[in-house]
Amino acid sequence: MTMDSDPKGKDYKSALARRNFLRGIGMGAVTTVATVAQPAWGGETFQDAFADFFQKDYRRMSAEEIDAALGRIERRAKRRYGVDIDCVNTPPQEGVVFGYAINISRCRGYRDCVHACVKENNLGRDSQVQYIRVLELNDGDFNLEHSDHYYDPETVPVEGKHYLPVQCMQCDDPPCVKACPVEATWMEPDGIVVVDYDWCIGCRYCMAACPYWARHFNWTTPEIPAEEINTKTHYLGNRPRPRGVVEKCHFCVQRTRKGRQPACMEACPTGARIFGNLLDPDSEIRYVLANKQVFRLKEELGTDPKFWYFSD
Amino acid sequence: MRSKILQLLICISGLLLSSVQAQEPMTPQEPLRFEGYPGAPEIKVVPRKDKLVFYPCMMCHAAMEPNPEIRQLNTPHNSEVKHGRGRIWCLSCHDLKDRNHLHTLLGEPVDFNDAYQVCGGCHANRQKDWTFGAHGKRVANWQGPRTLYNCTHCHNPHDPTIKPRAPSPAPHVRAGLKRVQGLPHEDTPSWMKRQEQAGQ
Repeated sequence: MTMDSDPKGKDYKSALARRNFLRGIGMGAVTTVATVAQPAWGGETFQDAFADFFQKDYRRMSAEEIDAALGRIERRAKRRYGVDIDCVNTPPQEGVVFGYAINISRCRGYRDCVHACVKENNLGRDSQVQYIRVLELNDGDFNLEHSDHYYDPETVPVEGKHYLPVQCMQCDDPPCVKACPVEATWMEPDGIVVVDYDWCIGCRYCMAACPYWARHFNWTTPEIPAEEINTKTHYLGNRPRPRGVVEKCHFCVQRTRKGRQPACMEACPTGARIFGNLLDPDSEIRYVLANKQVFRLKEELGTDPKFWYFSD
Repeated sequence: MRSKILQLLICISGLLLSSVQAQEPMTPQEPLRFEGYPGAPEIKVVPRKDKLVFYPCMMCHAAMEPNPEIRQLNTPHNSEVKHGRGRIWCLSCHDLKDRNHLHTLLGEPVDFNDAYQVCGGCHANRQKDWTFGAHGKRVANWQGPRTLYNCTHCHNPHDPTIKPRAPSPAPHVRAGLKRVQGLPHEDTPSWMKRQEQAGQ
């Protein structure tokens, strides 16, 4: 990758604009700024702004405090996007630990999972954040450093290539959790590694710690057309997120804790994706683990991913 | 002497016979019937009949004489059956007399909604994986009752290979970066280069 050296980029333009503005004031010209002024408290009521500022870590909040936080999230989304969302806090189910398996002989590189994920999880359409990357590899090659996820041929699968979707592996010994200096990310009892977006300070240590490039940083405020917003949201899942925090795949916590499939699995037209409860001996995922030769990515790092691959 | 040897032989053969009989009792048994895979979960299957254009087939076929001869068919039937590449033809799955049904290898009628039972006759391994959830696609939920898509929902039974199609849009290249051409993955693999050299 090479840097795009554009000396007259955005910074240059904004510097010019600032100079013109200052010059305008110096010449005594009348400048109207009423339209660009920020309303007080960032558009929130004083009460909401105050409560946001003193909001605690998710795991330290009482049930009432979480309910109040959910209300503030809904009001914030209404202000930002003009949409009534429903933000809930479904707890993990007893006796459930989620696991995922992908049949790589079925994956054909359609990338339908990627876009279903973007829609489901209210990812910014321009923010260049996507939780799933589908890697294209040469037949006979499994070196991930030789892979390409920008492939864009007329039709897939391309002859001589194979495809490997990669997302958060939901490690059972997650290095990202160890790296977080403020404990804004942790593993839930159902095995999903989640992020408290209000507690994250955006230091990105977790991104450096993750060996799978599964965590993503929101450089820009997510821009989503109001009619495309998914209004069924979860505090730890797909609620609209601010700029400057780290986010990642959370196995669609807003769906899976209610028994539904993750969006990527539902969207996959080939049935390559298998999801279920690792603690249920009759589940599909357990059948795969018992009857197929499975492997995990970078298993030697000892992160113990709950994400398997197999081919048949 | 001879009679003693004869006695011994009879004795040995009797022993052998009795041991064989112990393994296979002579009482007649019911013929083996396939009852599904042991331990298989309960499944429901998404119906297919409402999606078949010409169903019920007997609308036309009731008035036609059944013709078992292998021949070229014309519209509205597929002129070419790619499935099996010439090893099977229409009546391998479709019932000769009752066109509203398919049939198993034993000739039992199978409803079009249960087409997977016909597929499993040959593709038993796949059918087993499908029943237990390692192949095929489950509808909507991971928990609770299992509803599966039929084999024929994804595979055209007359041409089962899935055809290539256009992928969804590629991700953005990060702002300020360009997609680099000539990555190792676009390069010819080293072993293929050797093949090319050997060919020259």
